[in-house]
Amino acid sequence: MTDRNIIELRDVEKRYGTFVAAGGINLDLKEGEFFSLLGPSGCGKTTVLRMIAGFQEPTKGTVLIDGQDMEGVPANNRPTNMVFQSYAIFPHLNVGNNVAYGLRGKAPMAEIDQRVAEALEMVELGGLQDRGASELSGGQRQRVALARALIMRPKVLLLDEPLSALDKKLREQMQFEMRNLQQSLGITFVMVTHDQYEAMTMSDRIGVMFNGRLKQVDTPTTLYARPCDQQVASFIGEMNILPAQLLGETGDTLSIDAVAFGQMEIQRNPNVTTSSREMNIGIRPEQLEITAEEPEDYPSTVQGTVSNVAFYGENIHYHIQVAETEKPISVSVPNYFHTVDFKRGDAVWLGLQGASVIDLGTDTE
Amino acid sequence: MNFRSEASRGYSLSAPATAYVGFLVAAPLVILIAYSFWTQTYVTLDKTPTLKNYRDALADPLVRHLVLRSIWIAGAVTAVTVALAYPIAYFIAVKARKKTIWLLLITIPFWSSYLLRVFAWKLILGFNGVMNSALLALGLISEPLDFLLYNEFAVVLTLAHAWAPFAILPIYVSLQKIDPSLLEAATDLGNSPFQRFMRVTLPLTIPGVIAACMIIFIPTVGDYVTPALVGGSDGKMIANLIQVQFGAANNWPLGATLSLIAMLSVGFVAIVFVITATQFGRRIR
Repeated sequence: MTDRNIIELRDVEKRYGTFVAAGGINLDLKEGEFFSLLGPSGCGKTTVLRMIAGFQEPTKGTVLIDGQDMEGVPANNRPTNMVFQSYAIFPHLNVGNNVAYGLRGKAPMAEIDQRVAEALEMVELGGLQDRGASELSGGQRQRVALARALIMRPKVLLLDEPLSALDKKLREQMQFEMRNLQQSLGITFVMVTHDQYEAMTMSDRIGVMFNGRLKQVDTPTTLYARPCDQQVASFIGEMNILPAQLLGETGDTLSIDAVAFGQMEIQRNPNVTTSSREMNIGIRPEQLEITAEEPEDYPSTVQGTVSNVAFYGENIHYHIQVAETEKPISVSVPNYFHTVDFKRGDAVWLGLQGASVIDLGTDTE
Repeated sequence: MNFRSEASRGYSLSAPATAYVGFLVAAPLVILIAYSFWTQTYVTLDKTPTLKNYRDALADPLVRHLVLRSIWIAGAVTAVTVALAYPIAYFIAVKARKKTIWLLLITIPFWSSYLLRVFAWKLILGFNGVMNSALLALGLISEPLDFLLYNEFAVVLTLAHAWAPFAILPIYVSLQKIDPSLLEAATDLGNSPFQRFMRVTLPLTIPGVIAACMIIFIPTVGDYVTPALVGGSDGKMIANLIQVQFGAANNWPLGATLSLIAMLSVGFVAIVFVITATQFGRRIR
């Protein structure tokens, strides 16, 4: 990854009549970066990707690729290639001809054959040139689509929900493979996804979108630890959101009184603003300790009742009903040799460290 | 659910259609084949099997001429119709917003009888017809054109108009089935709209084009109403000769023989065409 901007979006907007599919988009993507646009369906992330690809023209604003203004440049003349959600494998062509598609007429036959062989080798489909398009499995179609785009040596590879059609196991395997491929090639990847885990495991940075707006652009760890508002906080991972009162602040430390857990000191989150005494805090389910007796080494504790148990294998999720909150509090505990095993209706204690509480500021919306 | 009951249900469901086809297509065909080996001796039928009809028919230059002309006219009708139908089908499938209305408009010619439509063309193309009157009134010509009607051109024009919907519909269906992301992928891989059409749209619609060609070519070879009404002597086709054998000439065995010769010729041309077109589609990369 270099410091050079390969894609710059300047105040980009796409309108359909009065409906703003995407608006006020400002984004700089670095050369060699793996960037994900993350958001629920209909948030405008695909629209942004398609404006970079050239399938849609922005209503307003500028798209620059490698410093060149892309206005009026059709998709076939842009230095980008795309992996489509449906993979768009040409059904009338075999694997070799699918991969060679973009090179036909642009390079000598021998060179095309060699590059096709290399590209297929790269996606671990070596020697499958003569396989028919209809004889491919879902995972193979995905690899063919990847090879067909990468053989063009694009400056930017665009991926529209590339893994959503695959089953869970294959999807996790492909996440690692695609990340490795991207790092070894050094090409900028821009991926659209609604799957937060996919975005977090693969990306250098993630842009979170809601209702056509880009809410926050940050690394996965920052997004997880310092979300810019409640919406982002609850979209990335699970989050217990509780109201709290601001008592005082010294430097980057806030002194608060939280519902249920009482007084504690927490770290200031620079991505949010606290404009009044009323604020919110976020607690990740895995940051809570759950015990049968009141824990001694936790400054904040609360008592409650187990209202729900979900066994995930590596983790156990509990819903704990406490007197002070309407919604139960989610707790996630690693499954260490079944040392923690509570049943529905058990009385338990929750323990919390102020350091692991996330400041969500005053909700402005 | 076991296989046997599944299979027997299949047979019983298809039985009415099988019986219908058996009696109304297969039986007449058998009778036709039988007739072609018999001979007509004035008013009686000699049922001794013989190849005489075939020898006579194949030796007759008129038969050869009419078969070739029929194939040529039907081929021209097919080419003109499909060439004109493809852009219309493309427009409806790709560009048009109200597809149902357009498809309904396409079927409008069927709302009047086939015979009436042929007569309409006769009125348009005739010596004192609409076309000549209009051109005379505009002062573009000084005397009526006589090459509009009673020739191959008139037959091709009339048939192309009559069969247009049959070409539009299968091509429309095959265009409709193309996943739009395939076209975007072609663009994304550097194709101009024209290259994209030649490399993706066209090869994927070849089955539709072949279907359209067959639907038009096979019935038009055997058409006798249109050539009889607008073809004049230059536009006569093999079906007109067959009709005469079953009618005025009262030589059913020869008529049956001519029918079978026409059928086999058409079958041969159709098979060659389908193979060529399929191969053409496979060669596009």
